[in-house]
Amino acid sequence: MKRPILILVGLLLVATAGAQQRSSAGGIPRLANGKPNLSGVWQASTTANWNVLTHGASAGPPEYGALLATPPGYGIVDGDQIPYLPAAAEQQRRNYDNRFKEDPELKCYLPGVPRANYMPYPLQIFHSNEQLLIAYQFAGAARIVNLGPPQPSAIDSWMGISNARWDGDTLVIEVSGFNGMAWLDRAGNHAGSALKVVERYTFAGPDAIDYSATLEDPETFSRPWTMRFRLVRNPNPAQHLMEFKCVPFTEQLLYGEFYKQARE
Amino acid sequence: MKIIGVAGAALATIVIVSLGAPTAGAHHAFSTEFDANQPITLKGTITKVEWINPHAWIHLDVPRDGGTIEKWRVEAGSPNTLVRRGMTRDSIPPGTEVVVFGYRHRNGSNAANGRDVTLPDGRRLFITSPGTGAPASE
Amino acid sequence: MKRTQLTHFVVPAIAFVMAGPALAQKTPWGDPDLQGKWSNATLTPLQRPAELGDKQFFTEEEAKVYVRQRVAATSGDENIEADRSAGNVGSYNDAWMDRGNDVVPTRRTSLIVEPANGRVPPFTAAAQSEYERNIAHAAEHPADTPEDRYLTERCIGFGGGHAPMLPEPYNNNYYIVQTPEYVTIMAELNHEVRIIPIDGRPHLPANVRQWTGDSRGRFEGDTLVVETTNQIPHRHYYGVQMLNSVMSDQFRVVERFTRTGPDQIRYRATVTDPVFTAPWTVEIFMHPQRGELVEFACHEGNYGMSGILSAVREEERRAKESGR
Repeated sequence: MKRPILILVGLLLVATAGAQQRSSAGGIPRLANGKPNLSGVWQASTTANWNVLTHGASAGPPEYGALLATPPGYGIVDGDQIPYLPAAAEQQRRNYDNRFKEDPELKCYLPGVPRANYMPYPLQIFHSNEQLLIAYQFAGAARIVNLGPPQPSAIDSWMGISNARWDGDTLVIEVSGFNGMAWLDRAGNHAGSALKVVERYTFAGPDAIDYSATLEDPETFSRPWTMRFRLVRNPNPAQHLMEFKCVPFTEQLLYGEFYKQARE
Repeated sequence: MKIIGVAGAALATIVIVSLGAPTAGAHHAFSTEFDANQPITLKGTITKVEWINPHAWIHLDVPRDGGTIEKWRVEAGSPNTLVRRGMTRDSIPPGTEVVVFGYRHRNGSNAANGRDVTLPDGRRLFITSPGTGAPASE
Repeated sequence: MKRTQLTHFVVPAIAFVMAGPALAQKTPWGDPDLQGKWSNATLTPLQRPAELGDKQFFTEEEAKVYVRQRVAATSGDENIEADRSAGNVGSYNDAWMDRGNDVVPTRRTSLIVEPANGRVPPFTAAAQSEYERNIAHAAEHPADTPEDRYLTERCIGFGGGHAPMLPEPYNNNYYIVQTPEYVTIMAELNHEVRIIPIDGRPHLPANVRQWTGDSRGRFEGDTLVVETTNQIPHRHYYGVQMLNSVMSDQFRVVERFTRTGPDQIRYRATVTDPVFTAPWTVEIFMHPQRGELVEFACHEGNYGMSGILSAVREEERRAKESGR
């Protein structure tokens, strides 16, 4: 009579011990459901936030010397060109000429997708079986990524609405519902509100993710085009995102004309 | 969705009294921004709705005597709750005729807060019967 | 003898089996599962209204009456005619609101459960003086610069995005995701992400201050206990629930999240700060949010701030001109 009860208790204990939280089949971390686990602090190793195309060094505002100069860098775009429609190419040139006034990054506005992923600041992914949140250090931007049935976007937004599915071990995220106000970089590259982005996240070993984004916007580009770069894991597990609320740093810039002036 | 009324009482003030907060200040800047001594009624056609935060803005073309058209913008609330209740970017299309009662912006521009927004057939915009959208307690 | 030993085995084993639903609310690695989309919208006020005196709880019938009154009072539609004559510029009606349609399930008359009077404890004398100076300053300088305005109006922070998580009039929605090292809470308002490490790492250095403070958590049995320090002190901190206030750099909050059922998280938060004569504790119940969180890009659309500043400048200009 004792033995069956011991077996029963034993089985219960095993069954309820909690499924494994860490496995690494294929050399990459995995969730309990076997899917790749994207959790971690990641950062892009690229200068794409200055310009997604290959670019030489150039001057910033002169009073800031080398501090705010644009560094050189290799581009991340397949074919190293963006297929703008003529009016959109004009708009990019205007953006570039006015970049030290008009870049939404200057105003601490949300960076949009894909730019948020290649800003020179970390992002942190929180990934569990049914939940996926991507938090960005810049301006506290964040994206909830829908792992269930796709949701349409009801109104437009800066970060779009993200619907994900798995393609083998690649996470594919389709992003749409943009308001068209974000830029793609500090050089004035841009897209409009018809933009759709298809992102692909694929592990290249346990500490790197190969990222690609295909941009399609028939009102801005003559064809879809793709960018790709690598996200590298922060090896220090004791570090998470710190707060970068830049709004207070932009108030003088945005509202200074309405400040009360000191009386003589 | 049944459409009832918009914008109500000195909501912020009532909220503060009910909450018993230690301060007399109002959360929203409504009375700082809009002038209780300048009530205004606007009859016009919606040209654009900005479904943005912290306030949505409704843009109207308001015809005046003599054939001129004045452009006005009217402040509303955060659209997020309405989105969860089924509203989308297409819910109030350009061309919709509305009557807006509100109070004029203190800075003198053609702006007002949307205290009461009504369609010509009498339906009042920005609905909902009180309390919908949240789960029941039992 | 053997039979007694068996009983010691069997009873706990059976109890273990019958605990079914609680077992379902664990993450795969065995932590209590708080994940999902939640709301802390409630009609219960932060502080017990003065007219209720010492009344800690409503009866069921009283709660129903109170709910009807609160919903009517905050709807705004009821008061529109009175307001037209009073010249009140008004605010939002219930269409824009998301206070939920009920009081807390305990039927308490306030979110504050300690002190027993359901109200924020008094300030110390020194803090009270500072509070009165803040009020006087605000009256004299309503909008010299954005720093005179509330954190909500500056799009820096709202009530639910930091500890203590207090509900605002709308968009009281949260998305909680857990990993073995973190519990992360995203609040819809201002898209705030609170990252709470639960692996025992130390706080940031004391000189590093954040608008959402710095949180560290641990599970004690079924409860997530979170301690928050390193807060940037600010007088406009508590969202709409508690405006002009006083904070010191010793401000500290301890929160407790307990999944009390499939559709409920009980939230308790204790605020300690030497500016108060005693700590105070709130209790709020989170319920599932059906529907998605919607982006709240506040700063990007903030016509309100330029509107407020320009309105006050215009008033000053007119006052100056008419004074000539």
